Amino acid sequence: MLKFIVRRIFWTIPVLLVVIFLTFMMMRQIGGNPFRHSERAVPEAVQRNLEAKFHVNDPWWKQYAYYVKGVFTLDFGPSLVLRGQTVNDIIKEHFPKSIELGLYAFLFAIVVGVPLGVIAALKHNTAVDYGAMFFSNVFHAIPSFLVATLMIYWIALKLGAVPTSGWATWEHKLLPSIALGFAPMALFARLVRGTMLETLQQDYVRTARAKGLRYRRVVGLHVLRNSLIPVITAAGPLLGFIITGSFVIELIFNIPGIGQYYVTAVNARDYSVVMGLTVLLSVLIIFANLVVDILYGILDPRTRDART
Amino acid sequence: MATTPTDIREEGLAVEPGAAPSSGAPIRQSNLWKDAWRRYVRNKGAVVAGTVFVLVVLYCVFWPIISPYDANEVNFAEAKQDPSLAHPFGTDKFGRDLFTRTAEGGRVSILIGFGATLAILLIGVVYGSISGFVGGRLDNGMMRFLDALYGLPYLPFAIITLAIIGRTDKWTMMIALSIASWFTTARIVRGQVITLKENDYVRAAKAVGARWYRILSRHLLPNTLGVLIIAIFLELPAVILGEAFLSFIGLGISPPDASWGAMAQEGRTTYRTHPIEIVVPSVAIATLVLCANFIADGLRDALDPRTRES
Repeated sequence: MLKFIVRRIFWTIPVLLVVIFLTFMMMRQIGGNPFRHSERAVPEAVQRNLEAKFHVNDPWWKQYAYYVKGVFTLDFGPSLVLRGQTVNDIIKEHFPKSIELGLYAFLFAIVVGVPLGVIAALKHNTAVDYGAMFFSNVFHAIPSFLVATLMIYWIALKLGAVPTSGWATWEHKLLPSIALGFAPMALFARLVRGTMLETLQQDYVRTARAKGLRYRRVVGLHVLRNSLIPVITAAGPLLGFIITGSFVIELIFNIPGIGQYYVTAVNARDYSVVMGLTVLLSVLIIFANLVVDILYGILDPRTRDART
Repeated sequence: MATTPTDIREEGLAVEPGAAPSSGAPIRQSNLWKDAWRRYVRNKGAVVAGTVFVLVVLYCVFWPIISPYDANEVNFAEAKQDPSLAHPFGTDKFGRDLFTRTAEGGRVSILIGFGATLAILLIGVVYGSISGFVGGRLDNGMMRFLDALYGLPYLPFAIITLAIIGRTDKWTMMIALSIASWFTTARIVRGQVITLKENDYVRAAKAVGARWYRILSRHLLPNTLGVLIIAIFLELPAVILGEAFLSFIGLGISPPDASWGAMAQEGRTTYRTHPIEIVVPSVAIATLVLCANFIADGLRDALDPRTRES
């Protein structure tokens, strides 16, 4: 087991290098020397110093090496547009809000989605099942900006129950978390239902029933536990889902998180920030995949050898 | 393996073009596609979804031609109207007829959707079939590379791609939306190719001296067709939502050009007073995505009965 975990952790290093490399090469294609803007004319000596400091004239592989070193020492470099601000400052300021939003959304998705899937599976082929599946199919298809704006329209504007935008008190955080959590919730419900239906037909479930165990106990003890394993595997892709959604939700609710700042940085052509945030989001997903794989290896020993 | 007899028969026909299959007594042909069609039609949800899907596409293609309004025609006298007989979806803040504009936007969204999906399939087929067909170390390396990219958020990479190209229209959107979305398709194709490679008819073809490109083009790829058709309807919703998100945050198709995402972006400015402007394009997106999901489910049952859910 330990061998599996160590191997899996070491495998993360080349993955990180590849992903940083791809992002780095893509950002280079956008190109342009940030210190040659005509509106920022500086004396030639200063220009040379700046270029030396930021390795502008070094070959690409040297720049890549510097950047990798930066990422591994958690230093994403300075912002190209905001003077005196580093990408780290921006991350420190905006990232916690996005993390909080993502966690609440995730929580909502689990608390509502998992029971929904369980009930649908236990009441298979009844009106409850069809209703739950219709509900989750619809919410899987509706773009989050519609859910968000309609919630603002009805709950914040018409009822006046919560503020329409911002990120200060729990009242601010309620609507965005739910709006962001809807699509993952639908995904969870469908996933849990599918795996539960499968587990319910397993031999060990039949055995447990045959031994005379009560239905409730069988479901609670055998079915639920085994049905939740695939849900853990879905957490990786789900994180990507939530990141994409947060771009939209943060914009609508005016939440000063990473998603909103990303768009600002793209529009301001602040490419070092764009690159830093892209790498950060990718690293986040790579680590989520790592944790998921290790958890999966612990929960289901059969997968240890198949995956590295 | 329902595919094997079909294939052998087709091979035979290709060798003897003179033997017309229609002559003689009608044999009940158990054709793969006919079987699939029969299974698909039996699934009511999939049939309804397919019908609605076709209707929505037809509406988007033809309504802008026959509509009395122009999708970009500004008419402030009729701004922000609610649905009526003259304007079934109402009008937006510029007085443009939303029924026409939704069709116009749908043209762009659906075009981007299918274009990017085809690009995803193309990359996925090339990558997946090379990896699966060659096998060995190359396969291992290519799959490790995919593992590394697996789960990366497509939106930031789409945004960077658009920044590299430096131009945002429907063609560049197709590239941007396919660049970080082809990993799953490549995996599916590889898996299919590896499974098929072990089949007896492929071994037989090899034994009689068929070259690799013939085996690939004649036996392996045609038999991945079913999987690819399913993949179209799995990727399409993701791409259409991707276009909508990208345009909604102001980095995709931008007004006055219409796409469902661009319309939603415009609708965001007026949703406090006139929410229908964002509801209409969003519901259009949801309808198409929902239909595509149901079609994909139906196709999976029809084309790949082995994986059918209990």
